[in-house]
Amino acid sequence: MSELINAKGLNCPQPVILTKKAIETYSDIIVLVDNDTAVENIRRLASSNGCTVEVTEENGVFSIHLLKQANVIEGSDTGNNLSCDQADVKAAAGPTVIVFTSTAMGTGDEELGVLLMKSFIHTLLDIKPLPEFMIFYNAGVKLTVKDSDVIDDLKALEDKGVKILVCGTCVNFFKLTGQIGAGNVSNMYDIAGTLSRSGRTIKP
Amino acid sequence: MKDSCLYLVAVFESVSQVMKAEKILKSKKISYKIIPVPRNISTDCGVCIRFLPKDRKQILDEFINQVEIAEVHELVK
Repeated sequence: MSELINAKGLNCPQPVILTKKAIETYSDIIVLVDNDTAVENIRRLASSNGCTVEVTEENGVFSIHLLKQANVIEGSDTGNNLSCDQADVKAAAGPTVIVFTSTAMGTGDEELGVLLMKSFIHTLLDIKPLPEFMIFYNAGVKLTVKDSDVIDDLKALEDKGVKILVCGTCVNFFKLTGQIGAGNVSNMYDIAGTLSRSGRTIKP
Repeated sequence: MKDSCLYLVAVFESVSQVMKAEKILKSKKISYKIIPVPRNISTDCGVCIRFLPKDRKQILDEFINQVEIAEVHELVK
């Protein structure tokens, strides 16, 4: 029988505090919350306390099932650092911009990088908050062509309000004119301006 | 159950197996998507291949003797 904690409607750090208290007493706990931030915070608390975590979602309510594992030495998280990551806090004023300078994520192995990039772009759909801009330049523009493996994800991101800028010079250089399937073919004024005004830039 | 789920995911033993599998799917023009391994399956930093249930048999046939699938899961979302 699981100990049930209803933390719906509560904001950080309340759900974490309630969960922390329950972990001290019970080894089988179900926590109900209604926001992603609480899920992630509880997930961290649980793993630092040697609990396995299973999350299911139904109609916006997350059910987090924590099972305390036997023989696990208590983590360093003594409850004094009940951290609250607020997903909506911005690092700096200005939009978040992700720049794509090639078709690969990282360097080292091109093929691995291409695989990681597909996974990265798909995962962006689940990330909150979404970036305001995605800018593609140099070989990065190849990600935005109509038969790109990520074109459906880029279109979905665009539908969700992400503005996609594609470097026109680069499209021309790679002879991709007319083949761009997402975003707006843009110019250096927009690209340099957007980068300059950004609160943070992310380069995968 | 099988019919009601939107996607299946194939999990592999290694990233190189994923790359091999991807090449096969691409050459056979079977629709697929590279996605991170869902958290409920594994918390490792891994990638897997998402595909449509209707293509399950064809995909598994194509992979025989070429790539080893570790597991096939329903994608719960």
